[in-house]
Amino acid sequence: MSKQQPVLFHIGWNACINCGACVAICPQEAGFVSPFDTIAVDRPCDIACLLCEQICPVDTITHERVGIPVASNGVNGQ
Amino acid sequence: MPPVDYDVVIIGAGPAGSTTARFAATAGLKVLLVDKRQELGAPIQCSGAISRHALEQVGITPDEEFIHEAIYGFAIYDETGNRAVHDYRSLKPEEYGSEAGKRPLGYVVDRRRFDRYLMTQAERAGAEVWLKTEGLGYTPQADGLCTVRLLRYNQEITLRTRVVVGADGLQSQVGRWAGLQTHIKITELAGCLQFIVDGVETEGLLEIVTGHEWAPGGYAWVFPKGHGYAEIGLGVIATMTDQPARWHLDKFMTQSFFRDRFANSRILEVQGGGVPLAAPLRTQFADNLILVGDAARHVNPITGGGLHTAVAGGKIAADFLSGHLADQLPLQAGALEAYQRLWLSELGDKMWKLYGIKTDIFHNMNIPERNRQLYLTMADYFSPTSEFKKI
Repeated sequence: MSKQQPVLFHIGWNACINCGACVAICPQEAGFVSPFDTIAVDRPCDIACLLCEQICPVDTITHERVGIPVASNGVNGQ
Repeated sequence: MPPVDYDVVIIGAGPAGSTTARFAATAGLKVLLVDKRQELGAPIQCSGAISRHALEQVGITPDEEFIHEAIYGFAIYDETGNRAVHDYRSLKPEEYGSEAGKRPLGYVVDRRRFDRYLMTQAERAGAEVWLKTEGLGYTPQADGLCTVRLLRYNQEITLRTRVVVGADGLQSQVGRWAGLQTHIKITELAGCLQFIVDGVETEGLLEIVTGHEWAPGGYAWVFPKGHGYAEIGLGVIATMTDQPARWHLDKFMTQSFFRDRFANSRILEVQGGGVPLAAPLRTQFADNLILVGDAARHVNPITGGGLHTAVAGGKIAADFLSGHLADQLPLQAGALEAYQRLWLSELGDKMWKLYGIKTDIFHNMNIPERNRQLYLTMADYFSPTSEFKKI
């Protein structure tokens, strides 16, 4: 796994087709998902491999770098 | 054995889960089938093609309730539009056709109706089904059984069961609960997009378009969808292009040799998904747990087809479980590897062979040569003499 700075994903819901490809490619453990069957967008990803952005058929996943590692309660670490 | 709430709890009521549930309930097991969705089959992530043989093999009667259109053969195109046609109406005219007494080769199904139909058959066989119910986790117990935690309409429920079956698709969380290596490589997951369209003629054939120009790492397709509609889609491998599938689909529709054919198409639905062009999971079992269908990556690595392998795998899983549980055999410490061995011998070994063929093609860095190999392999794969005809 890469030792990247954590990222917080943003999904453009207008283009999202709920295909699930981002979750399928995601190397995170169980539970790194949103209620809309996408990757989680409410907490940082500390792997930051960005494979979900690469696989998205409609190119609707972006991210911002965040400085603080994942909080244990699962909330955005900013 | 200590008492349980259910012999088997199946997470996910797609074709694999519902087929497992139907055969397990028919064999007399107490089965609970859960799905987190309110409507099965949706959002659709599948083109819906399945052979008649695959349906009949698992006792599914082709029914108008779920069939969009009958299929009679295949047309495989190279990058420039030359095609090889395997139309069973002319290859075996006494057997295949739309006339009375003749039969189709396969069908394109409506996944919403198909999945609901299979769930209904499972219920009628005696399985209990809970919709709006999500699996949260499971814990093997010292007495050899396990507990599974569910969330049903926001209410958390813990049940005791002998075996949990993960049938929760490519995004499977159940496999991750058990710590199985479910991660798929970016080079082996095709990002797919398809449009249901009006205004595109089809001829009862599944049309497969090969060529790096149109679908790098995958292929494009045009399938009949009933009522005069068609399905146009493609899958691409992200590492072989800088563009998303949507860009490639636009290009295929506006610049390929089919641009005139597609010129008056009107888009009725947009669907997409990840399709594994990969090997099956190397480990599909854990303590008190097995995986079926997409969750176990039971997907044809050449075609990306997963319906036949899902229902066939569901029957294998149910047959295995009914025998294993009836004999009161252990469920932990590797005992369920017997399921994987059975699956490999009935289906998986052939899929591994297909994976080898597919890998050889895409490891070729010479694009014209790779195009040629993919076209010839696809044309051969769908031919009546193919050794893989029944996958």
